[in-house]
Amino acid sequence: MAKSLGIFVTSPQNMRHVMGITKAAKAKGSKVKVFFTWMGTHLTKCSSFTELCEVADDVSICADSYKKCGYDVADVPKGLTEKQMGTQAQHGAIIEEYDCYLTL
Amino acid sequence: MSHKVCFMLVNKDYTLDGLRSTLGLAVENMYSYAVVMNNELPPLDDYNKENIEWIRDMESEVYSTVPANCENEGLVPLTLEELGQKLREMDIIVPYGIMRSDKS
Amino acid sequence: MKILHVYRSAPNDDVKKLVTIVSEGREVASFDLNVEAPDYDKLVDMIFEVDQTICWW
Repeated sequence: MAKSLGIFVTSPQNMRHVMGITKAAKAKGSKVKVFFTWMGTHLTKCSSFTELCEVADDVSICADSYKKCGYDVADVPKGLTEKQMGTQAQHGAIIEEYDCYLTL
Repeated sequence: MSHKVCFMLVNKDYTLDGLRSTLGLAVENMYSYAVVMNNELPPLDDYNKENIEWIRDMESEVYSTVPANCENEGLVPLTLEELGQKLREMDIIVPYGIMRSDKS
Repeated sequence: MKILHVYRSAPNDDVKKLVTIVSEGREVASFDLNVEAPDYDKLVDMIFEVDQTICWW
């Protein structure tokens, strides 16, 4: 069985890598969780973000970062639910519950 | 077993939020360290000072390779060589955000 | 211990020095993400094979 993979996204520059790695891992049967924080939350405005939410098993963002980056937390990014507007505990969950870890 | 995590914060636009992420894992009962590199912290407000104090209360630490941060904000000094050795002890290593070439 | 170093951009001198120290006495692999079309399939295989992945800036 494929290992699971957690991706912690802190850069606003790496959406193609997030998508590429997530798709490749899913094609191998891996479980993938992606958490966006700080400037990484700008990537929720990428056209491919909703596709990422469909491909990955779990996508969440830091709601506090999203707000600090100038967005309204009531404006939940397309592809997410209110419940997926999370905290840094989601980063902790990646480390605790997933086999492999990657920062992008 | 608690995970050992080290955030490397190299960009002034990302450093303070990186400290928040560091605290986020410390409160998840991980040994969560931060190292401020290449950038001089602005005078810290009470919120950010409290974040650093809280990280320390959780048996973690905030280091810096920049002498001014140690003198002005009481961060623990660390050389690049010492950081390299410290990284060898870590379970998770987080090169946070994006690198700036101008060292600002 | 097997470590994978992934590079999002060309490593500067500080990164090179840290990579050298972290890698000493360990089995090491590397992958360059800073190319036109990274082989993500290969990267995921490499991530699954090692004990630790460090994705440098």
